[in-house]
Amino acid sequence: MAVAPLPTAPAPVAPGTASAAPVLSLRGIVKCFPGVRALDGVSLDVRPGEVHVLLGENGAGKSTLINVIAGTFAADAGDYLIDGMPAGALTPQRARALGICPVFQEFSLAPNLTVEDNLFLGREPRRLGFLDRRAMRAEARRIIADLGFDLDPARTVATLSRAHQQMAEIAKALLAEPRVLILDEPTASLTESETEKLFGLIERLRAEGVAIIYVSHRMPEIRRLGDRITVLRDGRHVRTLPMAGVTEEALVELMTGRKVEVLFPHIQHRPGEAALELRGLTTADRSVQGADFVARRGEITGIAGLVGCGKSELVRAAYGLCPLEGGEVRLFGETFRHPSPARALRQGLCYFPSDRVAEGLALERPIRENASMAALDEAAIARGGVLRRAGERGLIQRTVERLALRPAHIERPVGALSGGNRQKVVLARGLVRDTQVFLFDEPTVGIDVGAKADLYAVLKELAEGGAAIVLVSSELPEVLHLSNRVYVMHRSRMIAELSGADLTEQAILSCFFAETGDGRTGREGVAS
Amino acid sequence: MSVRPLDHPPVPLRPDERALRLMAAIGLLPLLLVAAVVVVGILEPRFFGLMNLLNILRAASFLAIIAAGQMIVLISGGFDLSVGAVVALTSTVSASVMAALGAALPEAPATVIAVGLVAGLAVGAVVGLVNGACVVLLRVSPFMVTLGTMSIVGGLALLLTNGIPVYGLPEALVRDFGRALWFGVPASVFVAAAVVALVWLAQTRTVAGRHLHAIGGNPQAALVSGIATRRHLVGAYVASGLLAAVTGLVLTARVGSGQANLGGLDLTLQSIAAAVIAGTSLRGGVGRVERVAVAAVFLAIVTNAMNLLRVDSKLQLIVLGVVLVAAVAIDELAKRRQIRD
Amino acid sequence: MTETPVPSTATVASPAAMPAAGSLVRRLGLPAALVVMVAAFTVAEPRMLAGDNLLNVVVQASYLTLFALAQVVVLLTRGFDLSLGTAVSTVSVFAALLLTGSFGGAAGTLAGIVGGLALAAAIGAVNGAVVAWLRVSPFVATLGMLNVCLGLASLLSDGRPVAGLPDTFTTLFYAAAPLGIPAPVLVALGVAGLLYALLHHTVFGRSLYLVGGNPRAAEVAGVPVRAVLVGAYALCSLLAGIGALLLTARTGTGEPNLGGTLTLESIAAAVVGGASLRGGAGGVGAAVLGALFVTVLANGMNLTRVDGNVQAIVLGCVIVAAVVADRLRTGGGR
Repeated sequence: MAVAPLPTAPAPVAPGTASAAPVLSLRGIVKCFPGVRALDGVSLDVRPGEVHVLLGENGAGKSTLINVIAGTFAADAGDYLIDGMPAGALTPQRARALGICPVFQEFSLAPNLTVEDNLFLGREPRRLGFLDRRAMRAEARRIIADLGFDLDPARTVATLSRAHQQMAEIAKALLAEPRVLILDEPTASLTESETEKLFGLIERLRAEGVAIIYVSHRMPEIRRLGDRITVLRDGRHVRTLPMAGVTEEALVELMTGRKVEVLFPHIQHRPGEAALELRGLTTADRSVQGADFVARRGEITGIAGLVGCGKSELVRAAYGLCPLEGGEVRLFGETFRHPSPARALRQGLCYFPSDRVAEGLALERPIRENASMAALDEAAIARGGVLRRAGERGLIQRTVERLALRPAHIERPVGALSGGNRQKVVLARGLVRDTQVFLFDEPTVGIDVGAKADLYAVLKELAEGGAAIVLVSSELPEVLHLSNRVYVMHRSRMIAELSGADLTEQAILSCFFAETGDGRTGREGVAS
Repeated sequence: MSVRPLDHPPVPLRPDERALRLMAAIGLLPLLLVAAVVVVGILEPRFFGLMNLLNILRAASFLAIIAAGQMIVLISGGFDLSVGAVVALTSTVSASVMAALGAALPEAPATVIAVGLVAGLAVGAVVGLVNGACVVLLRVSPFMVTLGTMSIVGGLALLLTNGIPVYGLPEALVRDFGRALWFGVPASVFVAAAVVALVWLAQTRTVAGRHLHAIGGNPQAALVSGIATRRHLVGAYVASGLLAAVTGLVLTARVGSGQANLGGLDLTLQSIAAAVIAGTSLRGGVGRVERVAVAAVFLAIVTNAMNLLRVDSKLQLIVLGVVLVAAVAIDELAKRRQIRD
Repeated sequence: MTETPVPSTATVASPAAMPAAGSLVRRLGLPAALVVMVAAFTVAEPRMLAGDNLLNVVVQASYLTLFALAQVVVLLTRGFDLSLGTAVSTVSVFAALLLTGSFGGAAGTLAGIVGGLALAAAIGAVNGAVVAWLRVSPFVATLGMLNVCLGLASLLSDGRPVAGLPDTFTTLFYAAAPLGIPAPVLVALGVAGLLYALLHHTVFGRSLYLVGGNPRAAEVAGVPVRAVLVGAYALCSLLAGIGALLLTARTGTGEPNLGGTLTLESIAAAVVGGASLRGGAGGVGAAVLGALFVTVLANGMNLTRVDGNVQAIVLGCVIVAAVVADRLRTGGGR
């Protein structure tokens, strides 16, 4: 599997030669977390002057791998060579000193400091022992201008949009003059023109001999930038191959380990009455503005958009987690001015959060308590405020078995479960009470392919059984293959509704890149 | 990261939002301070008497020093409940040292004072070091660690003196410093001003200060950026211990004896109150020493005014409690209403 | 964790790694330490195991148990109550004023008990409302209440003890000993039993654990988090109020300084017993064991004539040791 012979000594290389000695080699890296082997013998070579794409589904181990490379996690086993020399005990500090600069999706910015403070964090210029603030300001302005970003160095990071935080993060990494630059889905929240600037920059760095590790799902950009591509699946190295001549279908098969049509079940959508209707919805923090939306019984309705476009906030607002400023939420014809989770649950609407550690589960409590959490007002679980523990146990046990959670031992703490099983515990909440509308927010983040297939099967069963399913996802293939209709959100607004023949990856992507305000309406490719 | 970034075009602000933003920018405190002075001045002209103003300044200076230390720890994302006990132990240790040495070297008061000061500062540094080490190495919650050291240090202070004041401080210390007016102002005010200036300089102009703010704001980001978080955290607790020791020394010189009942839990709570009223966040990362100094003056004025107006001292406690909670609640409210753009 | 382990989530300590042996140590560690301590004190001072001393220890522990139970209720929700001690003082004075007031007789006694407990619950409800609705941290909210109660207690009593409590009250809450069991012990046992049932067999009790385990998840799952918080703080103060009545009956006066060090002792007992400051862990057992441990420690040191100041130092060390032990058991190397 593309294991290059170890170089005997670091050799100077001409920039751009993809066959040069690797600047960074990993051999058989293993990393375990409680309950899961996140990396299982992964090998990787990165050469100067190449863009090396890391491809894999969520949970395949990409994030763990780049964290090992960046020194955030220590590998449990395996060799890590830099310029052919063992890297030894690597800390984030040492990795940076060696020129390995990561740009994480979860930003490494201190929200309370300004952009320029953050750019220089850990390597502030000094004069006479004090901060040289004038030099910082000048240097920050220079690098931001050089990158062509529209970013004010004096702004506090917490007040910036996600896209601007992403720019600050990239600027921070480049300030260190990296030899290995790690970009983890850098375009997830950038618009087309910002993305163009970033690509230009990447090409320039490649020409200067910087090695670039690029994590992304998006085929067009992988195709445009990538020199070589390494595919991971379930923590294992699947294959490393040159970009030239690889088909998209082949990559998807490598990623998922199965044919596309097998992974995504064929769903018989039979759209029925309107279940959830949102009219002119505007949230108090304006992350959603004037959005109209309808979800019907018997079909899966997808919502796509860039990270931070408001798609997640839309369903959260409908469930009562974001305060509303205007508009209305109608559930089976009944209007709610002030929705709340408790009321929504009583009316048969359930929301499944994307971040199950932060918002879904109490990790130290058992599966039973987590699964019954949203149904403590149900007669089967409690009556008059007193728990019926036997009834609860029976109900949860049956539900957990129906969802194929293994081992179905309901007294285990949820923290001991894998991502897929955690998702099943959260999902169980929708099944222990009568739920008609399911709002899924990035349901497959952090779960393996097997659990994904299980989840898709449950979605199919629910939709064909007449439930209304709303699927918010940043994974385009998922939205495309499972949904009957797809809404696209961009910058807090609903800009398109696609269905039938118009529902293609190209149509959705062109909506993502619509620059609101400069001529293009963002309405192209809109059906109906 | 705790920031929930949003991506949407700016929207015109409602008037109340603008007011809240303005309030968040300059802080409520200076306004309150002016209001307090005006109201008290009208109700009670004696407020502007020279002696009264000096009293206020003196009280505020003690509080400002110890609260500056508390703020440093709060910025790092911690807590220091032991500062009041450190004041007590500093007082008894330094007084005991000076009394013993003074008996041996009656003609060298300068040496005696210097040794006493160093002994007192050493107490603060050691307690801070222990606090910091427990928080950093054992990763125990700062609340519990400093609760424990508070009990230990307070017990040591009482054990050392059996609760009896230690007399025999060098005359010069009390006369020329503790009870002296320099240029018509209590000497402790100069100490407080120096402390505030130094902390301000460290906060805004040094790398260590910048790093401490980053650690409090996002510890993971600080670590990834190559900041030695552990050393800075220990440093924050040592700084807090040292400033508590300075407070203990100034108070000892003022009182003229070493006392185990100086400081105590009351002063600890006041230091936290001053820091928090000044807008220092209990979640870490945010705090400005100049505001803490203003808050110390504010608290001193409120207490003094209530004394002048013969408000029952018990009622004063209630007022302080309400002011504290209200300050934080307003701060929290302003933050919640903020809209990003 | 298959959750893509990015830096920010990597710090979430997973209890998954806690081996069975660790939980055994957790269950048996404290009782074992208690036995060792009793043995050591007995060797140093045989009176430790004398009947009257044991009775004394149990009575003493029952007061602390009540306060530790109170503290555990809020610790479960990731909070704590710094105002517990001064609330006890306030309730003591207020109840004593009602008891000695114009009602007289049984009506006066009833008024004292009901009034005292109502005031306690009200104090807690205010704490809870400030935490839940104004989103002020429990530290600041209860610190403010500490001041308020301190002021209230001395304002109500003018700084002097309120004497002349009716005998029915002191008998009922202190001297009575049905079946030979002193009243404070009975009350503590009864409260502990009721609280156990509440925590494990009611929706409210379950909600306390869920809110403490993950407040955001509880909110997303429709648990009325704010109401639960208000209830938790009100219940905490109510339990402290019961303790205040018992202590008042023991001293025979309404004491404005009754609360004194109770706040710290109650937190210490709860944490030594195994309640976590990070919420969602601990229960009745933690409070009872912790209170027993702290009381035996203090009693043993009194018997062996350890200086009171040294006792404070030892208590401080025990608190730190207990938290460190908790960290080592659950946190591992994180």
